[in-house]
Amino acid sequence: MSEASMQTSALPDDVLISVRNLKKYFPVHAGWLRREVGQVKAIDDVSLDIRKGETLGLVGESGSGKSTVARLMLRAYSLTDGQILFRQSDGSTIDLSQLSDREMRAVRREMQMIFQDPYSSLNPRMTLLELVGEPMIIHGAGSQGEIRDRVAELLQVVGLRPEFINRYPHAFSGGQRQRIGIARALALNPSFIAADEAVSALDVSVAAQNINLLQDLQEKFGLTYLFITHDLGMVEHISDRVGVMYLGRLMEVAPTEQLFAKPLHPYTEALMAAVPQPDPRGNRIRKRVPLKGEIANAANPPAGCAFHPRCPYAQAKCSAEVPALRTVEGGRQVRCHFAEELSLVGAVA
Amino acid sequence: MPAERLLELDDVQVHFPMREGLVKAVNGVSYHVNKGEVLGIVGESGSGKSITARSIMRLLPKKAVEPGGRISFRPRTGEEYELSSLSRNSRAIRQVRGNHIGMIFQEPMTALSPVHTIGMQIMRTVQLHKKLGKAAARERAIDLLAKVQLPRPRELVDAYPHQLSGGMRQRAMIALAISCDPSLLIADEPTTALDVTTEAQILDLLKSLQSELGMAIIFITHNFGVVADIADRVSVMYLGKIVETATVDDIFYAPKHPYTQALLRSIPRLGVDQGRRLPTIPGMVPDPFSVPPGCSFNPRCSHAIAGLCDVKTPPEKRFGNQMSRCHIADQFVQEPAHV
Repeated sequence: MSEASMQTSALPDDVLISVRNLKKYFPVHAGWLRREVGQVKAIDDVSLDIRKGETLGLVGESGSGKSTVARLMLRAYSLTDGQILFRQSDGSTIDLSQLSDREMRAVRREMQMIFQDPYSSLNPRMTLLELVGEPMIIHGAGSQGEIRDRVAELLQVVGLRPEFINRYPHAFSGGQRQRIGIARALALNPSFIAADEAVSALDVSVAAQNINLLQDLQEKFGLTYLFITHDLGMVEHISDRVGVMYLGRLMEVAPTEQLFAKPLHPYTEALMAAVPQPDPRGNRIRKRVPLKGEIANAANPPAGCAFHPRCPYAQAKCSAEVPALRTVEGGRQVRCHFAEELSLVGAVA
Repeated sequence: MPAERLLELDDVQVHFPMREGLVKAVNGVSYHVNKGEVLGIVGESGSGKSITARSIMRLLPKKAVEPGGRISFRPRTGEEYELSSLSRNSRAIRQVRGNHIGMIFQEPMTALSPVHTIGMQIMRTVQLHKKLGKAAARERAIDLLAKVQLPRPRELVDAYPHQLSGGMRQRAMIALAISCDPSLLIADEPTTALDVTTEAQILDLLKSLQSELGMAIIFITHNFGVVADIADRVSVMYLGKIVETATVDDIFYAPKHPYTQALLRSIPRLGVDQGRRLPTIPGMVPDPFSVPPGCSFNPRCSHAIAGLCDVKTPPEKRFGNQMSRCHIADQFVQEPAHV
């Protein structure tokens, strides 16, 4: 391991993973020679701490960069700039941004991902034994017999029958396939799991079962989750803290209860107002002013605050100056010039 | 049909003969839509909600068989159609489809033609059904795009679907569906693929179009929040049957079927229940080849009575305007939806 990656830059004791000033720019090519003509700032200056054993929810519209943050944390993408500090199981802290791909492979044991689409994320030609056992084979964790026993145990842990071990994914429903993905993620005893829209493709009753499973597993194995979703009801239900993203930037981070009771960023307020509630009488009373327009093009973001063209409270300053993510009273973080002056409405029960 | 009736389905059945056995995807569905109302159809995947809608449009897959059922339709022009007797390519259905009944789908990218401009697709429809000339059809297309609040309609009329964002494509799809002033719009999960903010915009658009044009909407979704927002009445489907139909308020505040209740309890609600464990429905939707005898929900139902629910198919029980297909609809203890 290189010298740089050994530095233990101050990572607070209760933090498992911390990204600092994370940036990811994708090049834009155009013309006959495919020359680089610009950059898409997919992630622009995102800083975030995830504490041990907590669930951090990440919400935002499609194109806001929430999945990219997760993929950067696991180094599925190389980052343009920034630090990713991760506390390993032996207690040492490393900066993942400094690791080579080879060094990264060893760390990935402790970091896993669950994907949205249970139909395309599992190889249809592999049995459950091969699917769930694959990470163990790659990391050389045990003999064939040991792997078989461990897979059977994992299937039981996620609520599938161990007898299914030789079946193929097509024999399972969407909810069950998602459980196979969860078993696969658990195979190497990770401490951190990024769940990218893990229940979004499932039916209501199945989503509820799988959410409960994820919560049980968290308690049982002391897991830390990054939970990415566009479903605000789900994020409120499962998260301890929530980050709100817009156009590659973090707009607000707050403990779940505080965020939903009183958002500090106009975008958070607009997101909450947009969710139709399973409450017809309430919907009739609640005046809902839908947000105008659409998320801007990340290749050509608006000047100043990225949200200002759609913001009902925007003032002259908003189109001129980029607001910084700053800490306000109560330790909450917000990226808005006027957070203290606005009085925004949360989700009313 | 009564005068206010627009569409009536009576015991509609759609079966699929498969190698593994017969799949009764739609197994005796009856519902009606009155002029100008929004009927929400909710259910989990595989409950048969989309197949029923396709049966109305006569757009069933070729291997589908229809052993029974009647679909009657009377658009505001007054003539009566017996849709169930029409074949998918008959002259009569082609006059209904796209003209009296418009349809919008979940994924506008696959529903719209990728090789024609959106203007061209709308023009073809109005030229065919409204007998408009080319210039008039183009003007009509621009008007429609403006009506669905697409920005710069005069430019975007010449745009191809891939040049538009998801929300804009769905607006173009709606413009196409309402181009001939239909009496009925069938919307099959039209907001499922959209972000919440775009979803709110599309729902508002559909509501304003509905009151402006006086059309009825069949709104198919699995999202209870969406249905609470837009529907006047709601039907809940499970395994090819409608298990409950009622006004939107009765469905949400006084459901009379255990399945409706259980579904409502398993949705995380905004601002209500942080951290609480979600009540779930035990088990899962059975595969279509082994539908349980009796009430098909009985193995998962917490109120099921042995010897009754697992033996006898429950009849449609009526309580005023509310219908529940449950043996004990009037007996079991109402659990509050909010816990």
